[in-house]
Amino acid sequence: MSATRDLVGVAWTGLMARKVRTLLILLGPIIGVASMVGAVGLTESAKGALQVQLATLGTNLIIAQAGGTFGSQNPTLPGDAVRRVDSVSSVTSAAATTNLSGVISVPVQGASTYYEAFPVPVRAADDSLPSVLQVRLIDGRWLDSADRVLHLRSVVLGSGIAKQYGYLPGETRTIRLNNTNFGVVGVLGKVPLDPTLDNAAFVTQWAAQHVFDTNGKPNELYIRTKDGTTAATATVLATAINLGGPDQVSTQVPSNVLAAQAQANKTLQKVALFAGLLVLTVGGLGIANVMSISVIQRSSEIGIRRAVGHSRSKIGAQFLLESLFVGVLGGVLGALIGIAVVYLVSSLEHWVVEIGYGQIPIWMGLALLVSVIAGLYPSIRAARLEPLETLRLG
Amino acid sequence: MSTQDPADPGPSPDPGDPTVQLPTATGLAGPAVQPLLELEGVSRVYGEEVEIYALSDVSLQIMPGEFMSIVGPSGSGKSTMLGLLGVLDLPTSGTVRIAGQDVSALDDPKRSRLRGQSIGFVFQQFHLIPHLSALGNVETALLYRDIRPRERRQRAFEALDQLGLGARADHRPVQMSGGEQQRVALARAIVTEPLMILADEPTGALDSANAAHVLEIFAGLGTPERAVVMVTHDPTVADTALRKVSMRDGRIVADERRVA
Repeated sequence: MSATRDLVGVAWTGLMARKVRTLLILLGPIIGVASMVGAVGLTESAKGALQVQLATLGTNLIIAQAGGTFGSQNPTLPGDAVRRVDSVSSVTSAAATTNLSGVISVPVQGASTYYEAFPVPVRAADDSLPSVLQVRLIDGRWLDSADRVLHLRSVVLGSGIAKQYGYLPGETRTIRLNNTNFGVVGVLGKVPLDPTLDNAAFVTQWAAQHVFDTNGKPNELYIRTKDGTTAATATVLATAINLGGPDQVSTQVPSNVLAAQAQANKTLQKVALFAGLLVLTVGGLGIANVMSISVIQRSSEIGIRRAVGHSRSKIGAQFLLESLFVGVLGGVLGALIGIAVVYLVSSLEHWVVEIGYGQIPIWMGLALLVSVIAGLYPSIRAARLEPLETLRLG
Repeated sequence: MSTQDPADPGPSPDPGDPTVQLPTATGLAGPAVQPLLELEGVSRVYGEEVEIYALSDVSLQIMPGEFMSIVGPSGSGKSTMLGLLGVLDLPTSGTVRIAGQDVSALDDPKRSRLRGQSIGFVFQQFHLIPHLSALGNVETALLYRDIRPRERRQRAFEALDQLGLGARADHRPVQMSGGEQQRVALARAIVTEPLMILADEPTGALDSANAAHVLEIFAGLGTPERAVVMVTHDPTVADTALRKVSMRDGRIVADERRVA
């Protein structure tokens, strides 16, 4: 025990006696570990915000779309699709939308040419759509029963369209849909689970049927399910909607796509990890190099220690322990720097910090391993030095 | 490895050197005194294809209490002799015994321990470790001996103080004069209370005033149990010793004693 304590003291003093040299050989493990911790941390953190958003949006939304048969221009779902879906026990809420193809929305007089060439999709939507989507309105209100009953020509803009139209919050604005004036009553918030809704304008089912002469059959359903039943519900929805009829139905769980996006870029991570490993290896060569030179420079010290009774193995252990300290110290400092970089960049980029603390000991262990291996050769050389040659007697 | 009673680890009166495992010089008291160090028909050959006899068939006995010098011109084999006496080297043939123990029969850890416990080296170039303080340099000789750091420091400081360097314990070698550095080296040699002090040209790097002072200290280092051996090419230094062994061409050519 006391021999180990003495050895630790000797090795530590040896390292601390040459601070600049020690700092230089520390750079290898420091940069190696820092880059590995940083690479994983940054790629995870960059997606961390998305993961948090996903958690708040919920993963239990299903979108059911009319698939249509070959050749049909605008496939639809049965008119009572929402009622049919509601009868499925695991469904908690549902809302339908209808694409109003051929309806041209023009924000201002005289801009029709452009908007005819690049039409804004107009959709008829149920009153419950925002609550099913769990999206708030940025401005104003959503379509409600008053619009339907009183036959108001109200329109709600998606957040993207509102921006495109230069709509200001609280502004009284009239836009033209197929030459009929509609009043803007609100702006729907961003819908991350279905961004197509951000670029649409919404009118009531009444307007769809009576202003634009559609049959009122929906094209798309948004359905919330009880937690944990989403996948199972998605598989039975098609049958629940068409009840064996001719309408083709396809379902998707949009959060799956988002979840895939929220996965950190593994390829980038691997490249960065490889780079970190490379730095660590090159750093190891640096340690071996500097330690070898150090053994030559300190040959007189080695001779003295042998003369006062330190054995070959003690001399070897002393130098190996110095390398080991470099590995430990470099690993710890590297990890701290890596974590600090992740926190710094994340705060600048408004990311949510995600650090895989479980992996850090692996990188640190790797730094330690590389350092000890790098120290092996110099240590053996130190142990083999002949004291008689290094002391220059006579 | 301590000879102290494990049931009584307290700072009771130190019963001599606690580190020496071998029969100590004090334990050898009796009518038939055993040599501290003995060379018997020792040869040391360098080179494999062309053999060079640095030492050929040398026999020598060093007794407790002796103050001796080994003198000879360069190339006479005295450096080789020093390496063998200090157990830094092994003979090609013949036997080297320390307190009756054949050093060739020992493995490196045992031989290193024997060296550390029975021999205190003093070198011409002082050979202090530059990044350690005077105290740290003296402490180096006490490492790996199962001594507590506090006690180790205490003993190292006492050795320095004994040589008048108590006030300079924290100084690095570069902050000290040559004479002071050589005294630190001396403190390092005596702190282990060795059976033999082995000095290689101890005054070679010193001016005459410092040299005289160091020689004076050397003369005082001997005890009835301990031998002091100086290896030198300088006849005036050699003449201060009571026994003078002269070497030439790897052989002992004279072995003179004088009465103090």
